[in-house]
Amino acid sequence: MKSKMNFLLLEYAINAILRRGKKNIFILLIFSMLVFLLSSVLFISDSIKLELNSVVKSLPEITLQRFVAGKQSDVSLSRAEELLSIEGVKSAIPRIWGYYYFKVAGVNFSVVGIDAFEDQYKESLQKIVDSVDVGVLEKNSGMIVGEGVKKVLEENYYKDFFNFVTAEGKWKKVTIAGVFSSDISLEANDMILLPKNTAYEIFGMDKKMATDIVVKVSNPKEIPMIVSKINLLFPDMRAITKDDIRVSYQNIFDYKSGFFLSLFLICAFTFFIIIYDKTSGLSSQEKKEIGILKAVGWSMDDIIKEKFYESFIISFCAFIMGLCAALFFVYFLQAPLLRDIFMGYSKLKPDFILPFSFNVEMLCLLFLLSVPIYIAATLIPSWKASTLDADEVMR
Amino acid sequence: MTLTPEIIAILMLDALFLFFALIAFVLSLRILFKWDIRSTQPLQYALEKQSYLVSVIIKYIFVLKLPLFLFYIFTCNKLSNIITGAMCASGVVNSVDFGLYLMVFKIINLYLFGFWLLLNNADMKDELSPFVRMKFLFFVIAFIPLLLEIILEISFFASLNISKIVSCCGTLFSLTSASYLSLLFKVDSSLLVGLFYFFGLMVLLGYILKNIPVFIFANLMYVLFSLIALIVFFSTYVYELPTHHCPFCLLQQEYYGVGYLLYISLFVGTFYGFCGGILEMVTHKGHTKFFKISLFFNAFYLGLVSLYPVAYYLKNGVWL
Repeated sequence: MKSKMNFLLLEYAINAILRRGKKNIFILLIFSMLVFLLSSVLFISDSIKLELNSVVKSLPEITLQRFVAGKQSDVSLSRAEELLSIEGVKSAIPRIWGYYYFKVAGVNFSVVGIDAFEDQYKESLQKIVDSVDVGVLEKNSGMIVGEGVKKVLEENYYKDFFNFVTAEGKWKKVTIAGVFSSDISLEANDMILLPKNTAYEIFGMDKKMATDIVVKVSNPKEIPMIVSKINLLFPDMRAITKDDIRVSYQNIFDYKSGFFLSLFLICAFTFFIIIYDKTSGLSSQEKKEIGILKAVGWSMDDIIKEKFYESFIISFCAFIMGLCAALFFVYFLQAPLLRDIFMGYSKLKPDFILPFSFNVEMLCLLFLLSVPIYIAATLIPSWKASTLDADEVMR
Repeated sequence: MTLTPEIIAILMLDALFLFFALIAFVLSLRILFKWDIRSTQPLQYALEKQSYLVSVIIKYIFVLKLPLFLFYIFTCNKLSNIITGAMCASGVVNSVDFGLYLMVFKIINLYLFGFWLLLNNADMKDELSPFVRMKFLFFVIAFIPLLLEIILEISFFASLNISKIVSCCGTLFSLTSASYLSLLFKVDSSLLVGLFYFFGLMVLLGYILKNIPVFIFANLMYVLFSLIALIVFFSTYVYELPTHHCPFCLLQQEYYGVGYLLYISLFVGTFYGFCGGILEMVTHKGHTKFFKISLFFNAFYLGLVSLYPVAYYLKNGVWL
């Protein structure tokens, strides 16, 4: 167990790597490329998860959707009143919202109806609503849009207004009254806020209906009980709690990165074989070197140790290089190309910025996935090299 | 079955371990049966070379197993987020029937492989290599729990069901639980704590008297009762909650991850005490350095764990 660092051996290992520069640089580059790919994917998925989780945090405790024949359909407004009679429910807010497909740009906007005298279901939304006069908006038939929406509209020459096509096929001209930026970029980017009446008109909905109802609960421990009461009251409504959403996000992203990782394993295995091959094919120069070392009095243990230092230095350098490259690529360049794997519908979603997320656990995971494979691949070859006999090699 | 990146990493390393351990196992068998130190045949010469490979492989496995064990617990902690009802790793570990056995095998294997390395080191220092047969026999035996651990681990992750509701640690470690763990809570806790301190003293006594069998026995009982006392008594003071007995929640951030410090010092202390003692019995050579390390870490664990109730009493003036 007493394995003190032998710095002379370390120095020898570094020199040995430098002596065979060409071969080692090739390995270093390939390996750091692999680490880079792996860590980029995990960083992206972690970062998106973080963003979504921060969205989840600000969501109301329970979202109620009505299902008819397995399809989501509108809820009557009167149900919100009835829900308030359940003990523990702080508020029940009917929401009018939906997606509007803007064909020219191939983008989906989230259209949300707002009302002056109604609490919004989210604080960030409430702030935006407080800052504008909804009455004026309604009078002038205006709307406020997120930054991403504004950009898409401007690209299509809608500088200060936009023509919605309503459900009846008529045009509805709505002026852009303002632009908001929100700290939660993922959802605010594609959002359009407009008065409820306009929203009803665009969606062609009955004015006594809402898209869904969000329920706020003061004590989070009461959520399961309240959900079961709601299920009794309205069997056709499905309750989605905050926790359900969080769990499904984690599942989705674990699945996506797991899927990628399974593919990565094939690469890693191929790499394993390449390294095995590279390190077991000793040149006559290297053989001679080992022969001399043994003749000078090195034991097999020393040679194995030296080889281990070599492979550890290479793999660790490659690990650090790949990691830094991935950090730069994901957070500085915003991961072009690769993030589309996670944003399958990226064409429909306006752009957003990946928030920085980096922790020790991630570092451990990446380390365990990369460096041990490399060292494992060099175990047997370095042992084989150390078994060479001095007299045979030098003869 | 869920394949999160962490699980894939663990399974991949398991596969590597299995591959290398199989090679080492076959070589060990060969060495075990054909070793003859006085022989000058090429076979003996080859066997000597192969014994190096085995030791390299075992070093590789052990060095990775240490961090991997912590990583496994971390993975279980993370999985508790998505498994209904689980609030920390214990819910995840107990969600499968044999989860606890897997944990036990993991710990036993750490001791076994660590001991092998100690033995190997003692063997390499001696130019006659007197323990060659013994260490390869030992590995051949230790291979079985390793194999079991890997099989259990694979089937553990395979049978993990995220939609199944599991118990949280609050119910697992309490009187109401149906498992044998609840038996512990029926025993008077002062007796268990007393036994813990008693064996702590016995370790010290064994060290002073230089009596190896006592030292080994005391260490063995010490690790057992320190875990029991931790669950029954000390953990409540860490959480400052009389009903919370979980040994896994100690590892969480709310308690500054104090569990990592506790478990590592307990492992190091008893490992050197236990394995160092056996090594001395086998090699008949003094290993007082091991005993000193063992004593230090055991005392550190005992002090740290005792500090919690004392601090609680000083702050609040009452016991829990």
